[in-house]
Amino acid sequence: MTPRIRVALLALAGVVLLPGAAAVITGLPPFGATIAQYGERINAITPEARHVANMVSAINFDLRGLDTLGEEFMLLAAITGTVVLLRGRRGEGNTERALRRPGRAVIPRSEAVVLVCRIAGPLTALFGLYVVVHATVTPGGGFQGGVILASGTLIIYLGEGYAGWRDAVRSHWLDGLEGGGALLFTLCGLAPMLTGAAFMQNIMPLGTFRDLMSGGLMLVENLGVALAVAGGFTQLFLEFMEETREADELDEPGEESA
Amino acid sequence: MTLGPSALLPLPVAIPLVFCAVMLATAHLLPGRLPDILATLAALSVAILSGMIAVHAADGPLVYWFGGWEPRDGVHLGIGFGVDAASGWIAAFIGVLYVLTFIFAWGFFDRTHGHFHILMLLFLAAMIGFCFTRDMFNLFVWFEVMSVAAFALTAYHLEKSALSGAINFTVINSLAGFLMLGGIGLIYAQTGSLDFEGIASAVGRGGRDPVVAGAFCLVATALMIKGAIVPFQFWLADAHAVAPSPVSVIFSGAMVSLGLFGLAKVSAVVFAGSDQVQHALPTLLEGLGSITAILGGWMALLQRHMKRMLAFSTISHAGIMLTALGALSPAGTGGMLVYVVGHGLVKGALFMIAGILLATRASIDEIALRGLGRGIGPAGFAMALAGLLLCGLPIGVLDQGTRLVQGALWHQERWIALAAGAIGAGLTGAAVLRATGRIFLGLGPDPGDEGGAPSEDEREKANRPLWVMLGPCCVLLAFDVGLPASLIANATPEAASAFMHQPSVSAKAEGPAWLTWISVALALAGAGYGLFRTRLPKLVIRPLRATQSVPTRALELLHSGLIGDYAAWLAIGVALIASILAVS
Repeated sequence: MTPRIRVALLALAGVVLLPGAAAVITGLPPFGATIAQYGERINAITPEARHVANMVSAINFDLRGLDTLGEEFMLLAAITGTVVLLRGRRGEGNTERALRRPGRAVIPRSEAVVLVCRIAGPLTALFGLYVVVHATVTPGGGFQGGVILASGTLIIYLGEGYAGWRDAVRSHWLDGLEGGGALLFTLCGLAPMLTGAAFMQNIMPLGTFRDLMSGGLMLVENLGVALAVAGGFTQLFLEFMEETREADELDEPGEESA
Repeated sequence: MTLGPSALLPLPVAIPLVFCAVMLATAHLLPGRLPDILATLAALSVAILSGMIAVHAADGPLVYWFGGWEPRDGVHLGIGFGVDAASGWIAAFIGVLYVLTFIFAWGFFDRTHGHFHILMLLFLAAMIGFCFTRDMFNLFVWFEVMSVAAFALTAYHLEKSALSGAINFTVINSLAGFLMLGGIGLIYAQTGSLDFEGIASAVGRGGRDPVVAGAFCLVATALMIKGAIVPFQFWLADAHAVAPSPVSVIFSGAMVSLGLFGLAKVSAVVFAGSDQVQHALPTLLEGLGSITAILGGWMALLQRHMKRMLAFSTISHAGIMLTALGALSPAGTGGMLVYVVGHGLVKGALFMIAGILLATRASIDEIALRGLGRGIGPAGFAMALAGLLLCGLPIGVLDQGTRLVQGALWHQERWIALAAGAIGAGLTGAAVLRATGRIFLGLGPDPGDEGGAPSEDEREKANRPLWVMLGPCCVLLAFDVGLPASLIANATPEAASAFMHQPSVSAKAEGPAWLTWISVALALAGAGYGLFRTRLPKLVIRPLRATQSVPTRALELLHSGLIGDYAAWLAIGVALIASILAVS
C-alpha cells in the first residue's frame, strides 16, 4: 500500500466516523455538568467511613484497590519486560557492575554539579518520602512519591557519574524492592481474608481524620506501592543507562565519566 | 463476612501474583529449575481453584465484593467479581493450558532468572481476572496487564523479526487499549457506573442513545482487535509467528479467544438493554466472522512458515467463534464457549508440535522440513490427529462445540455463516494436513532450490528430551478427545444461559452431521491438491490456478507488515462498525 492510499483510507474512515462522533459528543452530559452519582456517593461516604482526607487515595487503595493492584503489576510487567529485552542481549552475568567501554572519553563532573547534586539528592529523597507518607492527607501517595524517590537516585548519577551510581545502586536490591513492595501490596489483600473479611478489606484501626496515621490498611498498601515503584523505576533507569553504554557505534563521542 | 465458596474468587488471581512477586524479589537466589516448579505449581493451583469455583457456580453465579464494598442503595461502590459456571470453566481451562505449557517449556528459559515465568504468571493472573470481573474498568486493567506481559513475551528471542513482530503487536494492541478506555469513559459519563449490572440497568432505562452506541463501538473494536477479527487481524500473524513456541501456545489457545469471550460477555450483559446494539450485532458479527473465517483459512493455506500458518488458522477459527456469537442465543454462545476450549486444546497442541520441530529439527519452514520428521513419528501422529480435529473430525470437545455452533446457526437459517465456518475449518485443516504429509511422510514434490527457507534461521533450544515436549501436547489432545461429551452436553445450556443472564432454556439443537464431514473432505482435498499438484492432469490445475492467483496476490499485498497499513485498516474497521450501528 502506498502512503497515498493509506492516507486516503484513513481519511475515508474519518469522514464516515465524523457524524457518529458528532452525535456522541452532543449526546454527552454538557461540560461542567454535576459530577456523577458514583463520585458524589464516594465523597459523601469515605471521609467518615475511612477517616481519610485524600479521596483519590481512598479510591485507589480502598474502594477500587483491586484496580491499583492490577496497575501495580502492570508496571511490574512492563519493567520486567524491559529488563528482559535490554538485558537479554548483554547476558544475565554482567549485571553486577558497570560495563566499561574502552576508548570512551571520561569527562569529569565539575565541582559545582557535584555540590548541587549532593545537596539536591537528599532533599529530593526527603520530599519523595514526604509525598509517600502523606498519601491519605494531601495529594500524592505511593506512586508519585516512589517516582520522586527514584529520580533522587538519578541525581546520584548526575553528580557521581555512572560508575559511582552503579556502586550506590545494586540491581538485586532493586529487584528485591520491586518484588517485595508488590508482595506487600498483595498480602494486604490476602491478610484480611484470614480473619474472614473480604480481600483488601480495611480492617486496621483507621486513625484520626487529617492525621498522618489515618486510613488504616491504606498506609501499608501505600508503602508497598512506594517501594515497588521506587525500585522499579530505578531498575528501569539502570537498564536504559547500561544500554547506552553498550552502543555499537564506536565513533559516538562519550560523555560519561567512568 | 464473605465465607463459603464465594471467598475463593480472589484466590486464582492473587496466587499467581504472590508467586511472581516472590520470584522477582528473590530472582537471583533461585536455583536452576525452581522457577519452573513454582510456576507450574501456581498454574496448577489456579486450575484447581477455578474448577472448584466453576462447580459451585453451577448452582448460581458467585459474587464477591472487594474490600467489602457491597452496593449501597443500588450504587455500586467497589469492584466486584461475578463468576458464572461458564466463566469458571474457561478459567480452569486456561489454568490447565498454563500447567501444560510450563511443562512443555521446562528448562527452556533459564537465561533470565525466572523473568519469563514472572511474565507468564502475570499473563495468567490477568486472564483469570478478565474472566471473573464484573467491572468495566477492572476489565480494562486486566486487558492491559495481558497486553503488557504479552508484548515482552513476544519479543523474547530478540531477533529482528521478533522485535518487528512485537512492535506491530504493541502498537495495534495499544490502540485497542486507547479505544477501550475511550469507550469506558463514554459509558461511565452517560450511566455513572462501572459495574456491569449498574451500566446494564442504566442502558436499559435510557432508550436509543448515540453515546451508548459509540461506547459499544469502541469497546467492541478493542475486543475484536484482541480477538483478531478482520480487518483488525494483521498483528496476530506477525506476533504469533515470532513468539517463542510456549508463548504462542498461550496466545492462540487462550488470549485470542479471550478477546471474543469478553465481547460475548459485554454484549450479552452490559449492552443487553440497548436495542440499537442488539439489532446491529447479528449483521455485524455474522458478516465480520464469515469474512474472517474464510480469509484466515485461505491465508493459512498460503503459508510455508508453520507458526504463521497456525496463526492464520487461529484467525479463521476466531471468525467461526464470532459467527456463533452472532446468533445471540444461549445455544450459539454455549457452542462458542465449548468451541473456545476445544480450539484452545487442539491449537495449543499444534503450536507445541511446531516447537518440537523448532527444537529438534531447527527449522519451522514446511518445505525445508520435507521428510525430516521421520525420526519423530509420534509427533507426526499427534499433528495429523490435531489437523483432522481442527477441520471437524467428529470426535472430541472441538467437534462438540462446532456442532452446537452449527446447530444454533442452522436453526436461525444463517447459511452464509454456516458455509463460511465449514470452508474456513476445511481450509485450515488442509493447511495443517498438507504440512503433516510433507514433513512427516516426505510427500510432495522435491523442492530443489526452493528448500531454503526465505525467513531468518530460527531454532529453539534443544535441551529437552522429546517426551517432555510431546507429553503435554498429547495430554492436550487427550483432553480434547477424552472429555466426556455427555458432561459438556448437560452443563452447557444452563451455563450459557447464566453467562448471558437469560432464563435457562433447554432447547438444544445440533447441526446436521454431514456438515462437519464436508469440512473434513475439503481439508483432505486441499491437502491432497497441495501435495500432489504436479501429478494431476493439466486440465484440472489450470482453472484452479487461475482462480487462485489474483486473490492470493491481493491478500499477500494486504499483509504487508507495515504498521501504518494496519492502523489504516483499523480505522476502516471502526468506521464499518460505527456505520452498521448507525443504520440499525
